[in-house]
Amino acid sequence: MQHLRPQTWLPFVIFSLAFIGCSGPETVHEYKVENLEIVLAGPLFEGPNAGQFELTLDIPGALGDAYAPGMKVADARLQRAEVSAGDSLGFAQVRSFVLSFASDNEAVAMEEAAFVNPLPEGLERVALNVAPEAELGPHAAEEKLYVVLDVDLSEDFWDGDRLFLLNFELSLTLQSKR
Amino acid sequence: MTRRLGIWAAMAVIALGMLSFELPSEINSDVLAQKTAGDELLGVWEPSNGRARVKIDRIGTKYYGRIVWLLEPNDPETGEPKTDINNPDAALQDVPLKGYRMLKDFVFQEDGTWTEGTIYDPLSGSTYNCVIKMTDENTLDIRGYIGVQALGRTDVWKRLAMPKR
Repeated sequence: MQHLRPQTWLPFVIFSLAFIGCSGPETVHEYKVENLEIVLAGPLFEGPNAGQFELTLDIPGALGDAYAPGMKVADARLQRAEVSAGDSLGFAQVRSFVLSFASDNEAVAMEEAAFVNPLPEGLERVALNVAPEAELGPHAAEEKLYVVLDVDLSEDFWDGDRLFLLNFELSLTLQSKR
Repeated sequence: MTRRLGIWAAMAVIALGMLSFELPSEINSDVLAQKTAGDELLGVWEPSNGRARVKIDRIGTKYYGRIVWLLEPNDPETGEPKTDINNPDAALQDVPLKGYRMLKDFVFQEDGTWTEGTIYDPLSGSTYNCVIKMTDENTLDIRGYIGVQALGRTDVWKRLAMPKR
């Protein structure tokens, strides 16, 4: 059997040990966002219209005593998302909702994370279908992120805005600093 | 000697004052100019095949384009509105195609192009790197490519006038 010389494998071993040494343990936490006001500014046209909210995640505040300085977001997945009506128009003429997350960071691409299509009739609150594969870790790690709700309308609304309230829950995997 | 120093000191104070006044306004005007120039992209655009219309919006500092109109909005087999059936993420294949963001994450550059973005082809479910160049205020060159820009394909999009009340 041919043996590898230390010059060959030693750098890999050192790199691996350094990598393991720098990475602390991971913990999973729930992060809830409630009653986020998504405004669709009128006039609105038949078809898809977008509303957005600039959000800053307060991870230290949400974790309380469980937070340790230096914790970093390793991964984030959407667990649940729900939209309710924020004005008297309710879900009138709404055909579908799509929820996405975006960031100003050039290296972070927009991700669709949940939707409902078609919207069942007669509801005042609806749970969206979540895409479990949507990776939101890079978004959650940013100082601010954009929550975008696309609303497909079946007719024009020339007067006034539409308001929807969004609740969602992220599963955050946080890595501690060793 | 003291008098000469005093004159120099006065000139230095005036020069510093001008600097502190000039620099921020220069930076602000650059930022505003950049924002305005980048926003030229906003509007509704039609690809050369005329089968769709795409509305470009800005979210934060980046630009995104949604399909707002389709020549054939319904699936001919089911009669139902088309969905993103070719999306590689099976959980998102029922997302309506109308409203889908086929242009994502474009960043305006000083050379007048929008780069770093992607274009999605709903017919194949493939996503390509993309560069947008405005050749005149109503015409865009949309170049999709994989890897090397020179090996890509360019489509010409035309601006549509927005309906007025």
